[in-house]
Amino acid sequence: MSTPAATLCVPKVPNSGWRITSIITAIAVFIVLHVFALRGTEFEPAALVTGAEGMASFLADAFPPDLDWESVLAPALKATTVTLWIGLLGTTLSIPSALLLAVFASRTTTPHKTIYQLSRAILSFFRAVPDIVFALIFVTAVGLGPFAGVLALICHNTGVMGKLWAESIEETDSGPQQALSTVGASRLQQVTHAALPMVLGQFVGLLLYRFDVNVRSSLVLGLVGAGGIGLLINQSIKSFQFDAMLTQILVVLVLVILVDQLSSFIRRKLEV
Amino acid sequence: MTTLRLPHPPLLQGAPPREEILQVENLTKSFGGRTVLDGVNFTLTRGSVVAFLGANGSGKSTTLKCIMGLETLDAGSIKLNGTELSTLRGTALVRVRSSVAMIFQKIHLVPRRTALENVCAGALGRLSGPASFSPMFFPRELKEEAMAALARVGLADRAHEKAGRLSGGQAQRVAVARALCQRASVLLADEPVSALDPRAAEEVMELLAELAREENLAVAAVLHQPNLAVRHADSVVGLIDGRIEYSGDISGLDASMQARLYTPNRAAA
Repeated sequence: MSTPAATLCVPKVPNSGWRITSIITAIAVFIVLHVFALRGTEFEPAALVTGAEGMASFLADAFPPDLDWESVLAPALKATTVTLWIGLLGTTLSIPSALLLAVFASRTTTPHKTIYQLSRAILSFFRAVPDIVFALIFVTAVGLGPFAGVLALICHNTGVMGKLWAESIEETDSGPQQALSTVGASRLQQVTHAALPMVLGQFVGLLLYRFDVNVRSSLVLGLVGAGGIGLLINQSIKSFQFDAMLTQILVVLVLVILVDQLSSFIRRKLEV
Repeated sequence: MTTLRLPHPPLLQGAPPREEILQVENLTKSFGGRTVLDGVNFTLTRGSVVAFLGANGSGKSTTLKCIMGLETLDAGSIKLNGTELSTLRGTALVRVRSSVAMIFQKIHLVPRRTALENVCAGALGRLSGPASFSPMFFPRELKEEAMAALARVGLADRAHEKAGRLSGGQAQRVAVARALCQRASVLLADEPVSALDPRAAEEVMELLAELAREENLAVAAVLHQPNLAVRHADSVVGLIDGRIEYSGDISGLDASMQARLYTPNRAAA
């Protein structure tokens, strides 16, 4: 053991007392909030134990999955394809509206403060209304079927993707945009030649992420009659065909994994 | 090689050498009660390089930003080609100011776009309509002009390289080419070599001095290395706390002047 060549007394951290108090307060608030949340949601792990029997019989009915091609598997695959199409169209058709609102709702690219506030409000509205509520509204307008699901996803995804894109525009380096402003470029030219090319990679990444989410959302939309595999799952549950339901869920699982793999593959390629 | 000649800026035709192009008088600016510029005067002439020297916070960059309109001035006058900028608004101001180009420390190219596309962007001020919203629709004449500008900075062979793949020195030269494509007659360089290694810094400063002489441009460069100024500038504006301490020929930038410009805690000294 060698002794150090020199030592120096560590100075006292300024405001250390205040920092410890604020950390303890934050932890206390966190715990209190969780106590309220547990009560508010009637969180009772004991109920799981008492209800275990019901779950066991449900699972027993579901196994083995019904793999009959004619009556279960073929319709499930067909409906899953529809679900995929709903997710795809819901994502791509919301690009123009999300892009416009994102540019308007970003501090660095908005043409005016009022437009900024208005766009933020519109995005908040589309984001706040769940896609399932949009689906119920559109089902009453255009009837049961996948079209209502596509419309619902366009609305909700405009809100979410517009917000995500606006945030990424604001976070990106605005230097190139400033450089183009000194060149004499118009506001729109600054957006098309600096702001958007700077965020293109993030935009595509977020778009793929939303596609992934939307495919899963379109499943739920099926439950309220907006087409796709969700509709079939709902029908199986209502007619107590749990073995058919399990097959449908397995098909969905494959779809979700494929979409997830595809989107992460493309995102990885984009990062290079 | 004649096809690579740069078109002369329209203002240049028939202009006598060493013509005064930018006159700054009594420039004053304060931020939150702290005076950053206090009655700064200087003139930029075609064909010469002026180095702005001074410690951090002495007001060098703020001076350039005021000229570019990136900061508003509290008082003073900026005349560009004899036109007082404060009398202009909107598109008229943009048009007159387009003869001044800015080179930034952080370079500010779009990494995803090619060198050529970044250079073409220098011409956006004089392009309009849908064709100006995507590099795909840029006219052929513009691309050829941008190529000539790239050749002028020695990077014609990197035209289709993404800007993000260029080295710092190359990227800064592309930014200079963008200024040439802007057809600017004044180049304001705000610490153009601070982020570059010594060799790249030397090359960029050499290029700026060459452009001043050969293309008859007026160049003002904020520098942190007095030795670069001695090698490449014709004259110096030395600032201390927003006031001009020295303004004159580069030969006046001797060791004692350099020491004075960079003395820490002058108020206490």
